[in-house]
Order: sequence, then C-alpha cells, then structure tokens
Amino acid sequence: MNLTLRLAWRNLWRQPRRTWLTTGAMVFSNIILAVMVSLQFGMYDMMIDNTLAVFTGHLQVQAPGYKDDKKMRQSIPNAAGLAASLRQNLDVDTVAVRGTAFALASSDERSFGIQVIGIQPEYEASVSSLPGLLSEGRYPADNFAAEVVIGNVLARNLKVTIGDELTLLGSGRDGSFAAAVVIVTGIFDTGMADLDRSIAQLPLGAFQDVFSMGDQAHEIVIRVADLSLVPGIKQQVQGLLPADENLVVFDWDELEPSLKQAIQADIASAWFMYGILIILVAFSVLNTVLMSVLERTREFGIVMSLGLTPGRLGRLVVLETMLMGLMGLILGTLLGAGLILWLGANGFSYPGMEEMAERFNMPAKIYPQLSLVPLFLGPVIVFAGTLIAAVYPAIRLHWLEPVQAMRAA
Amino acid sequence: MNVFKNFLSLFLIGVVFAAPAHALDPRELVREAIDHWRGVASVGEMTMIIHRPDWERTMSMQSWTQGTKESLVRVTAPQKDRGNGTLMIDNSMWNYSPKVNRVIKVPSSMMGQSWMGSDFSNKDVSRSDDIVDQYTHTLLETTEHDGKTVYVIESVPLEEAAVVWGREVLRIRDDLVLLEQRYYDQEDQLVQTLEALEIGEMGGRVIALRQRMSKQDAPEEWTEMQVKTMSYDVNLDPGMFTLANLRNPRN
Repeated sequence: MNLTLRLAWRNLWRQPRRTWLTTGAMVFSNIILAVMVSLQFGMYDMMIDNTLAVFTGHLQVQAPGYKDDKKMRQSIPNAAGLAASLRQNLDVDTVAVRGTAFALASSDERSFGIQVIGIQPEYEASVSSLPGLLSEGRYPADNFAAEVVIGNVLARNLKVTIGDELTLLGSGRDGSFAAAVVIVTGIFDTGMADLDRSIAQLPLGAFQDVFSMGDQAHEIVIRVADLSLVPGIKQQVQGLLPADENLVVFDWDELEPSLKQAIQADIASAWFMYGILIILVAFSVLNTVLMSVLERTREFGIVMSLGLTPGRLGRLVVLETMLMGLMGLILGTLLGAGLILWLGANGFSYPGMEEMAERFNMPAKIYPQLSLVPLFLGPVIVFAGTLIAAVYPAIRLHWLEPVQAMRAA
Repeated sequence: MNVFKNFLSLFLIGVVFAAPAHALDPRELVREAIDHWRGVASVGEMTMIIHRPDWERTMSMQSWTQGTKESLVRVTAPQKDRGNGTLMIDNSMWNYSPKVNRVIKVPSSMMGQSWMGSDFSNKDVSRSDDIVDQYTHTLLETTEHDGKTVYVIESVPLEEAAVVWGREVLRIRDDLVLLEQRYYDQEDQLVQTLEALEIGEMGGRVIALRQRMSKQDAPEEWTEMQVKTMSYDVNLDPGMFTLANLRNPRN
C-alpha cells in the first residue's frame, strides 16, 4: 500500500500543470460552496431572527389550546407576575407579556375590525422591533394609559392622526361588553401589511381593564440572545412554570412553522445550483483521470504483463484521484474558512441592503459564522463526486489486454 | 269509450296540475313564518344564555321590532352591561355602549362576527328576512310534529346574494312555527343549527319560546334565546328606530 501511495503521488506530479488545473477547479468550487453555504446559513439565522424580532419572539408561554383556538378565555393567570419571575430566573430583561382581543375600532368617520394587543410598555421593545418602528408620535409610557399605537395603514383607513380619539368596542373575557375611548399617540410602519392594517397596541394595564382580563394575559414572549440558545432556555422556562396551570412553552418553530418551510424551500433551490456546480467539477475530474489513464495505456500494458493485477492498478488510479481530491478539499476549505472569517469580522452586505435594513429596523450586514457543517458540507460532496468520477477509468482497466495495450501508440 | 278515456286523461291532468296549486308556495311559507315570529310590530323581553363548556353567561334584553326591517335590542341585565344596545334598520347595524357613550356603525366586514359574544352572528340577527328575498325555496318533504304538518324546505341563496351559507334547511310547522333551521356551508357541511326547544303561546301567538343555536363541531357551545314576554301588533313610537333613541332611550 505504501508503495502504491508513493506511486500515486509521483504519478500526480508527472503532469503538474494538469494536476494543478484540476485541483484548482476543485479548490475554486470548494471555496464557493463553503462560503455560499455558510453565508446562506448565516442569512437564514438573520432571517429567522428578524422575522421573530418583529413580533413573535423566540419562545412564548401560553395557556393550553390558545395557539390553535386563540380564544380569549385561554389565558395565563397572573401573567405579569410570572413574566417578572421568568426575568429574574433567566436573568434577562427580554420577557414581555401580551394580551390579545378582537375589537371594532372606530374613528369619527370609519370603523374596522382589528386586533387589540395589550403590551407592557416597559418591556415590549426588548422582545419586538415594532416599538422602534414608529414613524410618528411616541410609544405609550404608562402601563394604564388609554393610549394606543396603530399601524400606518390602519391610521389611513380610519383617517386618524396623532392625538385623535378611537373607540374600541368588543367583548371582554367574561363575555361582557368591552368599550373604551383611547387616544392615538403613535403610528408605526413595519412595512408588513398585515401588521400595519390590523393591529393596535394598548398598554397591558389598560387592556386588562377594558377587556375584563383581571391579571390575565395570553402570551409571555421571550427573546433570547442567540437562536442556538432556544432549546436550552425552552427547557429552563418549562421548569419555571407553575405546576398547577399546565401552561405550555412553544419555540419559534412551533409558533411560525411557515418560516422553516420557507427556509427549506430556499435550501432546496440553492442545492439545485450547487448540484450543477458539483457535477461540473466531477466531470472535469473524470476528464483528467481518463486522460491520465489513456495516455498511460502502454505503461499499464507493460506492468500488467509483468503480473500486476487490474485491481491493484485500479486502486492506484483511484488513489491518485483521492489524493488530488484531498488537496482540493484541504486547500478549498482552508481558503474558504479564511474568507468566511474575514466576512464574519467585516460583515457582508450588498448595495441597497443598508437602506432596507434601516427601513425594517434590522441589522445592516450579514455576519456568516464559521461552523463545521456549512463549511464542510459542500467540499465533502465535491470530494465524493471526484471519487465517483474515478470509478469509470479504474473499471476500464479490467478490459485492458496487456499485449494490445503495449502496442498502443 | 274513447271519449271516456280522453275525459279520464283530462281529469288526471287536471289533478296533476292542480296539486301544486294546493301545496303552498315554500317562499310564501317562509315569509309567513318570519312575519308570524315578528308580527307587524312587537315588544318583548328575552333572556340570552351563552353556554360554553367551562362557563355560562346570562343576559336579559328588551326588543322592539317593526315590520321586517327595523329592530332594536337593549340589554337590561347584568348591571355591568346594562344600556348596551343594537339598532338594526334594513341590513345596517349600529351598536351603542354607555361606557363610551357612542354609537358605532358595524361595518359590513364585521357582520359575520359574533353578536354580543353569542353564537349568533351580526348577520344572523340583522338579516332575518334576507332568506325570503335572496333565496330560492324548494319543498323537500312534509312530516308530522305534535299532530301538525311540518314542511321541510330547502333554501338556496341566489348566486348574487351576499350570504356565507351554501344552503339552509328549514322545518316550518303548519302553524308557522319555525322548528329548526340548519345552516350548511358551501361544501354542504352542516355548520350550525337553530332549533326550537319549547313552543308555547305568548302575546296571542304560538311561537318558539326557547330557541337554541349550536355549532356542529362544538356541541357543548350554544346560545339559547328565551322569550319572557312578547306582545304583538303594538303601536310603536315612530322615533323608536332612530340613532337618537338608541343613544338616549325615551322609554
């Protein structure tokens, strides 16, 4: 084996230019794959974070059944107290309570059915980017103020501006009539039509008052520092919930299943492109190996007539390819990792991204993370592809007739 | 012989053609049933029970109706909700809440929403006579109930009618009491059923004293309307069905 290895290595450098060219193709595609896949994964994390940052948060505590039925009575008792204890035990500030009710909102001129969301003014900004997206006015400061912020589309539909009154009419938790006159103090513009058209945020204290909620609410929203921390914190939160209420914790994947589906669809289409790249590289390797086998037909004929079996000769050819593939793999991932590290430090952005990020209250650059799976996933598949490409030339050796081969030009 | 045969066939044709004339027009029957329930004008007191598996809520209310187009409902109990009212004229609906002292028109997009938290939608309560004009009616069969004939009528909304239902099936007794109304969606699945649980005399008419609306997929959730008092053919103040009266009751 040692001999075969040495032979393979020397065979590679009989044609250094060809070897470098083929290795170069592999290195190039490996860098592309390593960087693109890492960038893609970094983008997904950012996409998830940005989407969740608007409203959903990473984790939510809810009453059983609320996620599917959204019934007003499926609420969390002493929600603010529970949130305070979560804040203390998790040692983070990013926990906020919300209540949700359906109401008819009317201005002097128009009426629309909307979702009224009770929020804790003090904490909402720590779990949601929405308070930072006010285009006019201010976020309510007092927990009991009869003040709302509404979306710009709703404001336009209702024909109200800052300082105008809105009447809310709906049903309370006990089925009673809920009615309130509130003042519009802020107008937000998230760019998401659903939110901008149908949501009003009211301080939680006032919300609980209007909708006869007592100390109850519907969601405790938790935001964590990093996506990878979600499973651990979920478990921690589970342990901190009062045992007798059978409240449930959902992570973002359960709250927003469409997010993961969108990512999976994107991965599928990206891999189609990567697949084409890998196949091209594999064909170029096949070409090189086949050429190197064909030009050595005479040589192979001689060694075979001396008693070398086609099997060992085949192994030699595969080993040559494997060595070349390994060089491509190592050089490609090293250079790719270097590029990712540089992008991770300096950030990646494209023209116009900054404006868009500012518009949606999001970070302006993507910072890809260096991690094993995205880094090696593409290069390893390229490596496997080159090995498969060596199979045909190696098998071809079995049909070689030593005498004929020796006479070949 | 031939003459006799011709005569016989003529006679038979006559019988066949006469039959539909004898059977009543299903549309007319539906109209009469609704008129019977509402009268030219009526004043009544009702109790509404909203039942859920884990809670129940009872509300008392007064109602006034005039013809099929105008009605007014005002909550009298519990104290917390007293004074809330709904005025319906034609297909428009206004709510009044004393808490905010405001009258609010219910937009058409909200007509499918629950009325006062019950299993009746705003549409259910406000458009009770749409079923006469905007549906085609077919008599499916006749059965018996308490020794009286019951007409089972299928009502299918016209193509252009703004109705969410695919069809409704009504069971109307020959004394014009609506025994049951089943609502099917566009996929022909039964969604909800309104049924008369108790029938008796009130205000000189035999009417359904207790009606229950229940959802098919949640049989433990229902709303019951109980008629406490009802007088028909009363003279109502012409100002009864106005926004001013909704806001400031004069009676």
